Amino acid sequence: MIENTKCECGHQNRVGTVLCEACGKPLIELGEAGGLLEMRYDGAARRSQRANPGIIDLVWNFFSSVKVAVYLIVLTLLGAMLGTIYPQVSTFVNLQNPEEYYKNTYGTLGSIYYQLGLADTYNSWWFILLLVMIGSSLVICSLDRVLPLYKALSKQKIKKHMEFLTRQRVVYQGQVEGSAEEWIQRAAPVIKKKGYRVHTEGTALLAEKQRFSRWGPYVIHIGLIIFLLAVLFRGMPGLHMDEYVSFPEGEIKRIPGTTFYLKNEQFTVKYYTEQELPKEFQNKGKLVAKLFQTKAVLYECTSNCNDPSKTPQLKEVTRHDIEVNKPLDYKGLVAYQYDFDLTPKLRSVQPVLVNKVTGEEYGKFKLDMMNPQRSFTLGPYTLELKNKFMDFMLNDDGEPTSKSPNPNAPAFLFLVKGPDLPKDGAQYLYFPKQVDKERFQQDLINEKLGGVEKKLELDVKHMTDVDFSKASSYLNIRMDRAMPFVWTGLAIVMLGLVLGFYWTHRRIWLRIDDGQLTLGGHTTKNFFGLRREVVAILKTMGIEVDEKSLDNGRNKG
Amino acid sequence: MKKYRRPVQIVILLFIVILGGYAISSAVLGSHDRLETGDKAPSFSLLGIDGRVHQLKEYEGKAMVINFWGSWCKPCVKEMPALQHQWEKWKDKGVVVVGINAGEDQMTVQNFAEGRGVTFPVLLDPDSEAQRDYNISPLPTTFFVSAKGEITSIHQGELDLDTLDSQISQLVKP
Repeated sequence: MIENTKCECGHQNRVGTVLCEACGKPLIELGEAGGLLEMRYDGAARRSQRANPGIIDLVWNFFSSVKVAVYLIVLTLLGAMLGTIYPQVSTFVNLQNPEEYYKNTYGTLGSIYYQLGLADTYNSWWFILLLVMIGSSLVICSLDRVLPLYKALSKQKIKKHMEFLTRQRVVYQGQVEGSAEEWIQRAAPVIKKKGYRVHTEGTALLAEKQRFSRWGPYVIHIGLIIFLLAVLFRGMPGLHMDEYVSFPEGEIKRIPGTTFYLKNEQFTVKYYTEQELPKEFQNKGKLVAKLFQTKAVLYECTSNCNDPSKTPQLKEVTRHDIEVNKPLDYKGLVAYQYDFDLTPKLRSVQPVLVNKVTGEEYGKFKLDMMNPQRSFTLGPYTLELKNKFMDFMLNDDGEPTSKSPNPNAPAFLFLVKGPDLPKDGAQYLYFPKQVDKERFQQDLINEKLGGVEKKLELDVKHMTDVDFSKASSYLNIRMDRAMPFVWTGLAIVMLGLVLGFYWTHRRIWLRIDDGQLTLGGHTTKNFFGLRREVVAILKTMGIEVDEKSLDNGRNKG
Repeated sequence: MKKYRRPVQIVILLFIVILGGYAISSAVLGSHDRLETGDKAPSFSLLGIDGRVHQLKEYEGKAMVINFWGSWCKPCVKEMPALQHQWEKWKDKGVVVVGINAGEDQMTVQNFAEGRGVTFPVLLDPDSEAQRDYNISPLPTTFFVSAKGEITSIHQGELDLDTLDSQISQLVKP
């Protein structure tokens, strides 16, 4: 199909042009003939409109369609609604068997919901596909419209076709006296005063203001594209992290997946006193927390970071008292207070070796629960650490073993050598905790092991020689490197909205033919305001008109 | 009609296909938190009780049995002899058995390995890095990894000699 796209003014228009690019004469009637003109994109053809589309054009045209974009948005909204029926798996901190959970909690429907993959709607392939398609549509729609619009607006003809003027929504026609050129020259400064840029050409005039507001929608689209890209690529490795880590008091612990280490120097939890509680809560034995606080120090590893055989070199980078809603924030790495555990954990003891016969004391040596020193020399004695059990128990075969990896009931097996002891040494089992000594009958065990307990004893003299972490603080470590892009995108969207909302692109065309003045006015919105401006301009020029009579649309009369 | 538009269109469409393809594929492949059969075995770099650092990549090209265990965990202790037996049987046929201890210290692990006659590589994971990457919850958990580095099967709980043997035979089957 070959369309004749040549206008009567001689201008060759592109396929799909609605209003002649030069004179503005309507080429395609979108509405009823003689009715108001369709002024979208100033009547320019969308870029992709072609006489003979190929495959690439068809794909391009698909995404270029606003109708398609609307369907895509509606589909995405419907899809997003599906994800709100039941909680999403990503909102659980530690869900080991989601399939079972959905079945048990929500019944058969829950089971179907999980099977359909709706438990993770927002990460499903089809939801991401919809987002990608919306993104494509945004890019292609914008490109297809903004470039022709830009061209149309930057090379406007001053003298427009008569029909173009009379079919605007603001129209005035009337007789003027005197020379047409002179009238136009007189009108120019009057219109300029209203903030318009005025261009004249003989007996025709074009006045225009705030054209930049036309770019508002496209600025919004650029912002949305940045936002969408940030959201789509948020999950890329290294950009996103959401971990729950326990930090025992006084220990420097690595934050998994990073080169950062965090030390919980002190964890505090404070409760409201009875008097501070509201009446309904008083004398009910309720504990309401007033404060959770972790005094945290963040270190960054500077060398030996990825070699587990070497001790990493750490450098303190920041310290912060983490409280609920007051996270530690270092270059996008954020640590939130999440939970705590007040179970004390034994870290080390510093006992002395006592000669039970003479009462002599040797040492004070440090016995760590984790990675202890293997041998100690104390006066004439040497203690060689042979084995340790963190949570002592005897198994079915009567062998000592550990019930758990936690130092609940630690026990240390030494080989002791020295005066009055066998040449090869004698075994001695030591429980640092007094309650374990009695519970497991330390003396009885040692009697069976070789009778060292009669001559020697390990004893912790002061409570200051016991080191334990009083509490563990659970922190939620988060990193979201895509967030700055999300905010940038949204800021750009906001800028675009402001451009489009608070300014309007107004144009006034004038032409005088044989003493008859024809005025056409167009604005992107607020025709009322434009009419008022036109009335004021005409009044200064000595023409009194009623505001409503300018309206060429439905509100006439 | 202007000619320069076609290349611009093609470039933009290509961009959309590449970026969109990446976003969708990473959503499909990377969304599940738990490891599943068919996934690539996550890399690790851990200190062994031999004092050397062991990495997943040094076993490249070999079929692997990765066993997560703790000395306090009864089924782990029970399956140790079976693992040791299979290590001796298969070690010259391109199979490696690796034990990753869940957070105990060197002394405990070393004593345990010596006491039970374990000679396959035993690695320490004090910061739970490997446990996190392999998403370990109950112990023992054993991963069977093909020579290509792909997880072919995940076994939670105690393994007996026969299951272990048949799993490994499947692993080395060409």
